Amino acid sequence: MKKLTLLAILSFTMLFAGSYDKVKITPDISYIYVYHKGKAVKVHRIQDTKHKLTGEFAKLYHPGKDIQSIKMDKNIRTIGEVELLSFMRKKVNKKLGILIDVRPKVSYAKESIPSAVNIPLRVKDDKVKFGKILNIFGAKRNADKSLETSNALDIAVYCDGLWSSKSSEFVRALLEAGYPAEHILYYRGGFQMWKILGFTTVQNN
Amino acid sequence: MKLSYFAAFAISTVLASANHVDITAGLSYVKVKANGKTYKIERVSTPNTYLTNTYALTSRPSPPFFVQPFTVTEGVETYGELELLDFISKNRGVFIDARLPNWYKKSAIPSAVNIPFKLFLSPSKKLNKVLKSFGGVKKKGKWNFSRAKTILLYCNGAWCGQSPTAIHALIKLGYPKDKMKYYRGGMQSWQLLGLTTIVPKGKK
Repeated sequence: MKKLTLLAILSFTMLFAGSYDKVKITPDISYIYVYHKGKAVKVHRIQDTKHKLTGEFAKLYHPGKDIQSIKMDKNIRTIGEVELLSFMRKKVNKKLGILIDVRPKVSYAKESIPSAVNIPLRVKDDKVKFGKILNIFGAKRNADKSLETSNALDIAVYCDGLWSSKSSEFVRALLEAGYPAEHILYYRGGFQMWKILGFTTVQNN
Repeated sequence: MKLSYFAAFAISTVLASANHVDITAGLSYVKVKANGKTYKIERVSTPNTYLTNTYALTSRPSPPFFVQPFTVTEGVETYGELELLDFISKNRGVFIDARLPNWYKKSAIPSAVNIPFKLFLSPSKKLNKVLKSFGGVKKKGKWNFSRAKTILLYCNGAWCGQSPTAIHALIKLGYPKDKMKYYRGGMQSWQLLGLTTIVPKGKK
């Protein structure tokens, strides 16, 4: 009897697992596929309409953490989730862009946005590492020390969220290095807004 | 005796300031005036406070709820919390809660006036009155908003289409895009940042 109920539940969930139409992303999009470390991940929203965000991402108390401006720099475009998903599909999946999580390694290991790579903020202070990262982004240091950016990839940056300055600090370092502003996007909502909208996350252990 | 009172006061002030969470560097709170009242807007300064009310819900059913684009339409600027606070503290225009009254009555951002989005969807005497209060002038059946005020609209947040719907309707009525601002974070981001909300009292 128990087996039968289990089977019934299993087949029921399988029947509905594929659609994700109860809680959609936009009127046209219920889910998208992105590549995370070589594997396809289905990104959708939690379908349980009673599900509440709990734990550290529901925390309201963030001493010493300033609420960030809607724009970090007049030349950097701020995006939301809809634009981020489009960036994943059109850029990250085609290797034309990189989504960067600038939170510490431990936070990223625990949980991140699918398709994101981790470049902890403090890397910007390591000249050698930061130089290598610029190379990975497709920018090359010329002999005259200027930055050759004709092949620079598009990048999107996120951190903890509305109250964290990590993304802006990282982007500022990029701009100072000569990385073109038009190739940088800022997902201000960050991991907290991603979580509170019930989007799929991945673990990176 | 007086001295010990003073000491207690001084200690509590020091403790309070040690715990106090600034809105952003150099801005510990904002005072706004509305309806003859002054509201103090600040951030939660109590450790281990969590969002537990209905705004902790991650998954509202669609339709009607969908994740909104970052921008309603080109020309209408999207605001964050700091831009909103600047707008209301400097009285730069009309601050509108565009949600249906049942949402607004439960909790709202201080100093907002509730003008439910549905009002903008069809002609009515009440709509005329509201548009006039924004500074619109109606001549021979056509609205002129060249002297109208800037308006800032919000609703429940990133998953709510109520204020974007109002903005689209206002564009159809001819309201200038550069006189409309959209606080996309809405009630959800506002509360997630631990910012002050009020329960509006009396008739709207």
